[in-house]
Amino acid sequence: MQLVLEEVILSRKNWSLRAHGTFTEGIHLITGRVGSGKSSLALALAGLLEPSSGSIVLQGIHRHTLSMQFPEYHTTGHLVREEIRSWGLEPERICMEAGLQGRERERSFALSRGELKRLHMSCILAGTRDLLILDEPFSTLDPEWKHRLCRKISSHHPPLTLIFTHEQAVLPRVDYLWEIREGSLHALGKVPEAILSWKGAPRYIEEAVRRGALPDNITIEDTEEALCRMED
Amino acid sequence: MIVCTGLAFRTLAIRELTVPPGHTCVIGPNGSGKSTLLSLFAGIETPESGQITIDGEAPRRTDVGWVGEFPEDNLIFRTVQDEIASALRFHHLPDCELEPRIVMALREIDREDLRDARCRELSGGEKALIALAAAIALRPSVIILDEIDSHLDRATAEHVQRILPSFSCTHILQSTQNMDTAAQADNLIYLEEGTVRYFGPPEEIFPALEDTPFYPTLWRFARCNSSLKR
Repeated sequence: MQLVLEEVILSRKNWSLRAHGTFTEGIHLITGRVGSGKSSLALALAGLLEPSSGSIVLQGIHRHTLSMQFPEYHTTGHLVREEIRSWGLEPERICMEAGLQGRERERSFALSRGELKRLHMSCILAGTRDLLILDEPFSTLDPEWKHRLCRKISSHHPPLTLIFTHEQAVLPRVDYLWEIREGSLHALGKVPEAILSWKGAPRYIEEAVRRGALPDNITIEDTEEALCRMED
Repeated sequence: MIVCTGLAFRTLAIRELTVPPGHTCVIGPNGSGKSTLLSLFAGIETPESGQITIDGEAPRRTDVGWVGEFPEDNLIFRTVQDEIASALRFHHLPDCELEPRIVMALREIDREDLRDARCRELSGGEKALIALAAAIALRPSVIILDEIDSHLDRATAEHVQRILPSFSCTHILQSTQNMDTAAQADNLIYLEEGTVRYFGPPEEIFPALEDTPFYPTLWRFARCNSSLKR
């Protein structure tokens, strides 16, 4: 199972992005500056944006979905329980997952934005898919729920999971790093080696690398352990 | 000073709170009332009971630069130039003042390249930045940012934090889920279930949150190193 990008060009007026490479099974983290094209590439990989040229080939992938950056884009149910049912899921179970017990009858848009994001992420992660594309899944979540989401992604991720994010505080364990810079998607390679060429790394990783520590992975815990190991 | 007395609005209940001038970060779990409190400070909402004053005036009588948490909702005009000019036009500034203010605001956010862009073509992060440019163009006395950094990459978020102190405003109020950002503020308001659980400078508040995910990552690393050095 893999997702192949063959000389893909996404473009509009004064902007373009070139993407070439193969996403193999595992968790991939794709980062980039504001306006670099993370969300556009996520849309294209999900088949919702036509590339100007090149092709995107899904090999062995039969079920896939995209979680968009803003949870309000996904919300169709007036009430929380209707929103959950629209995903074909059972309201009580999902409310429990999202920390919204007893709030099934509330209006979806009466939830805070972070709560709406929790609801959305619980719905999207409850499904079974071959490919899951997550655009800024940690945005607006508080630190505790970011950690919970990381654990959930690590334990229940589909075979091929792509995470597009500029999250700086809490990140999950991943297999591969990619970075969009100067109009191109760059494959940095497998973690941990790829960390050394990650220009947009969060400050805690940059700080660890600066001190000479290479974490096994990109989580805070891995980074802390690497720093401690170095001191031993 | 921002003074809240007997404040009640939706799930928010704050008996007494006095926020001195400077940079204040509002932190807390999802649903604790951060956005609600900021919208009251901005005068977008008015309390069901109680009172808020900003330097002795009601929020609605104060010039507030506001960047909301929904990037789509911040922008209402077709072009970036019109968006940034909107607050200035609503304040009846003469046309000759618009151009330099637009240029200055775009220069502040380091995105002069977006000057001729259409708002609907912007990314989520760019929309948040243009909303910030529109907010600062008016040179307000209060700037309120509701989780602007959740839409920004590291370099851009750090640039925003760097330029904030350069604005000559009395209060900067900012909600964030990045505790390393919050650690740089003069004061923190930690909200929980609609009430102020902690208020004070970061060095007084974060020790109480040391065993929670709300403790700044970089502080945790510093702690790790110093304990090892001992």
